[in-house]
Amino acid sequence: MKYAALVIPVLFLALFVYAAVRRVKLYDCFTDGVKGAIPLVLSLFPYLAAVLMLSELFEGSGLSALLTEAISPALRAVGVPPEIAKLLLVKPFSGSGSTALLSEIFSVHGADSYIGRCAAVCYGSSETVFYISAVYFAGIRRKTPAKAIAVSLLANLLGAVFGCLFCRFL
Amino acid sequence: MNFVFALVFLLSGAMFLVRDPEGFLPALLSGGEKAAALSLALLASYCVWLGFFRVLEETGLAGKLSRALFPAAKRLFRSDDREALTLACENLSANFLGLPGAPTPLGKRAVEKFCAAKNGYAADVLFVLNATSVQLLPTTVIALRAAAGSSSPADILLPTLLSTLISTLLGLLFLRLLSPKRGKFA
Repeated sequence: MKYAALVIPVLFLALFVYAAVRRVKLYDCFTDGVKGAIPLVLSLFPYLAAVLMLSELFEGSGLSALLTEAISPALRAVGVPPEIAKLLLVKPFSGSGSTALLSEIFSVHGADSYIGRCAAVCYGSSETVFYISAVYFAGIRRKTPAKAIAVSLLANLLGAVFGCLFCRFL
Repeated sequence: MNFVFALVFLLSGAMFLVRDPEGFLPALLSGGEKAAALSLALLASYCVWLGFFRVLEETGLAGKLSRALFPAAKRLFRSDDREALTLACENLSANFLGLPGAPTPLGKRAVEKFCAAKNGYAADVLFVLNATSVQLLPTTVIALRAAAGSSSPADILLPTLLSTLISTLLGLLFLRLLSPKRGKFA
């Protein structure tokens, strides 16, 4: 994993050397880009706040635990261990919540166990769909992209099912 | 999203009411607190990456990259908008490289441009690609497994890559099946 650490510094240095050769005004140009950061965060903020409050409610009320119990038999039938059902349910809402769950699964079942590896793959293969939709569609006047969200959730779920299958022999 | 928000909010709120009425407000506040903290973290990362990408645009490298990917992107997004397609290609490249925080500002601008051009299909495609993104190097998972004492923390690379490939392909396939031929403004 040592080489992975080189990617970002090399990328920056290579670009800046190339920009200097092309006589780009680096300071003016870089600051011009940074100018966009504050309006971007401002436009995101209300949606972030709403989604994160919702995910706290979802988790804290016990609704997520209840749903976990409800869906785990169905997931077990397709080969997903029930311990992972909760991870799959929380991930679309909250990245930090699912990270906490993942390390909990590692400490209870061990990182090299079948359940631990399944959890790792499920975590890595699904995304925080509701969070991404809040960010990408923030402030855009358009009907809710319900279709895109539903499609992504279903695709991620199926990806997780295949992931657990791959863990059996990879 | 209005429906999901109302549904989850009402159901969770009702459960709080029955089980733990005093926990309701603290839960909301903790969500707000997380939003504030996350916004600061995002601001920091956007400063770095928006500066970086502005330089990338100015050198003309971004244009070269998008020209190479242009024919494929045109068909994938059913769009002719050069500027939006460039942003989308940059977003996907940043995603693929796993640069933390870099894809979001690009993706957001691309979605804005697609929507302004009334191309809802393209915005949906970009969203699905991001929401099922192919994971080349799941750094967080590897770090967590190493911390939990795994004997080979990186041995989930292949299953993760395969399952994300499957989810991305399925996502695109479903979207195509559900979308009318001429990417209508949905």
